[in-house]
Amino acid sequence: MRAKAKRYPKEAARLLRERPSVREAVTGATLHFERNRLRAYGEIDTEAWRERARRVKDHVLTHLDHYLELAEGRLRENGVQVHWAEGPEEAHRLLREVVARHGVRRAVKAKSMLTEELGVNPLLESLGVEVYETDLGEYLIQLLGEPPSHIVGPAIHLTLKEIQELFHGRFGTPPDAPPEALAQVARRVLREAFLTAELGISGANFLVAETGTLALMENEGNIRLSTSLPKVHVAFVGIEKLLPRLQDLALFLPLTARAATGQRLSTFVSLLQGPAREGEEGPEEVHVVLVDHGRTALLADPEAWEVLRCLRCGACLNACPVYRQTGGHPYGYVYSGPIGAVLDPGLLGLEEAYPLPYASTLCGACQEACPVKIPIPRLLLTWRHRAVEEGLAPAWERGAIGAFARVMGSPALYRLLSKALRGLPLPQELQVYLPVLKAWAEGRGPLRPSPRPFHELWKEIKEEARGG
Amino acid sequence: MEARARILARIRKALKERPKALLPELPHHALPADPLDLFLRRLAENGAEGRLLDQEGALALLRELAQGLPGAAYGRGVPEGFRPLPELPPEEAPLGVSWALFAVAETGSVALSSEDGRKAQLLPPTHLVLVERERVYPTLLEAFQDHKALPSALGLHSGPSKSADIGQVMVKGVHGPGRLWVVVLT
Repeated sequence: MRAKAKRYPKEAARLLRERPSVREAVTGATLHFERNRLRAYGEIDTEAWRERARRVKDHVLTHLDHYLELAEGRLRENGVQVHWAEGPEEAHRLLREVVARHGVRRAVKAKSMLTEELGVNPLLESLGVEVYETDLGEYLIQLLGEPPSHIVGPAIHLTLKEIQELFHGRFGTPPDAPPEALAQVARRVLREAFLTAELGISGANFLVAETGTLALMENEGNIRLSTSLPKVHVAFVGIEKLLPRLQDLALFLPLTARAATGQRLSTFVSLLQGPAREGEEGPEEVHVVLVDHGRTALLADPEAWEVLRCLRCGACLNACPVYRQTGGHPYGYVYSGPIGAVLDPGLLGLEEAYPLPYASTLCGACQEACPVKIPIPRLLLTWRHRAVEEGLAPAWERGAIGAFARVMGSPALYRLLSKALRGLPLPQELQVYLPVLKAWAEGRGPLRPSPRPFHELWKEIKEEARGG
Repeated sequence: MEARARILARIRKALKERPKALLPELPHHALPADPLDLFLRRLAENGAEGRLLDQEGALALLRELAQGLPGAAYGRGVPEGFRPLPELPPEEAPLGVSWALFAVAETGSVALSSEDGRKAQLLPPTHLVLVERERVYPTLLEAFQDHKALPSALGLHSGPSKSADIGQVMVKGVHGPGRLWVVVLT
């Protein structure tokens, strides 16, 4: 996927203006996920689980070469063909070979963010392969030609009405068909695809080094079908997805499910060791592609490498007041929300992802939600700091922040200035021309200073508390 | 092998100065004395239908489920006595019957091995899973400790197939079975 992160502020403003339904749909869905997560976190000693998970991931990441080699050996013993890819080029080369060797005409795909990074669908289409996204949400956005809007719920920005219209136009269902009827139509189309595809493609939530086990989580059953029915299965795995021991899955599978959707475990978990053995049903050929695509560069970054702990659960998106306004599209890359804002600069380079570290209120909700305790607010500040250092941030930011610091550092100056501002309310015409304020004022009423300064109110509250 | 060598070299270089993090010990769980109760409760919470039955009771349930159906798809491990209906290919069968490798109380899951099959677990709209009582583990951790030698594919099923991707409305039976029955055999 080509990154369009640079256009974030414009795209976010445009979306808010042109598609108000997105805000409603995304806010509703993320609040629902968020309530479920809070309930599920409440059932466990969350702090202990998160801390343990953080430590396991840190261990793997600081021994990554060892675990990758261990996993590779086990996978080979299990009969899996292991490949390594720096990025899209090598991934595409492998897919071309598989398509040619097996005469692949049709592929079924399980939802995978890494394959979005690698542009797997456009490549297969260019080879004349029919690709079916089989996750229901992913199938919807494939029909619309859109990228995913959320790591876990790719179609959460769509309303029922929009989906009804889509299916009415595409499959002739009644314009007011209920969700069950729409799902039945998708089930019929995709069932046919599962039964006839020669190739199944997936990502992986985890790769267990000790046993060479791919672990995949889902609720629909499409991953189990995609990895069971076609005679060839290709799994793309980011090199950061490793876990040391099989038993670590006993922590990571339930923790990820709780963080993502508030479930104790996702409805279907596939633990895959390799091709079908003698007399078994299942794929004859399994390929695992270990993909870097910017991850080693992030690992080498002493300030930003912790983002590689990410489990792609989407909890930080659901918790984020900024993400809730627009969903994922304006972020302009595969990974949106708070995690995207700290992962995309690492994967794409800060210049490509520049405005994203600013798409946050720094409220810290993302860090609290994160099952592996990624310090997202600190990483946002790291990337902002670098943006200023590298001259990517606009010049006014450096000047404005310097001036702000001077004023805030001197109580006398602060009082004088706030008094002056109250005396001279900014006329609206002026707001239209001032930088920063101009963008802020768009779609909002005029700025009005509070009639009484905060320190006066604060003094009053303290006196009341003392007296009362 | 070129990409492999380059990637590993970059990783080693990146990690050279980095302090190594220790691998934490596995946690000790407080285990319920009898996981069976918890298992059946969690199954119900997951939207599955669980029963504790002896052989006769299980057969009676199976016959009840099979009423009016032309046939069923069976996992390879399903004993002869639990095959009351003629066998149909999983693509056509309205009912799939599987024999589970184990079950987990903590999460309300049954573990299905590729040695038993795969299509019968996934294609029919209703799925009945048989599991022996002594194979119900309290926790995932214990189950994994006992099953280091895994089959080529192991599926953990914890309820019916579902999705809320269409307007956040929960729909069952999207791709996999919309109904899951689990019978714990005494």
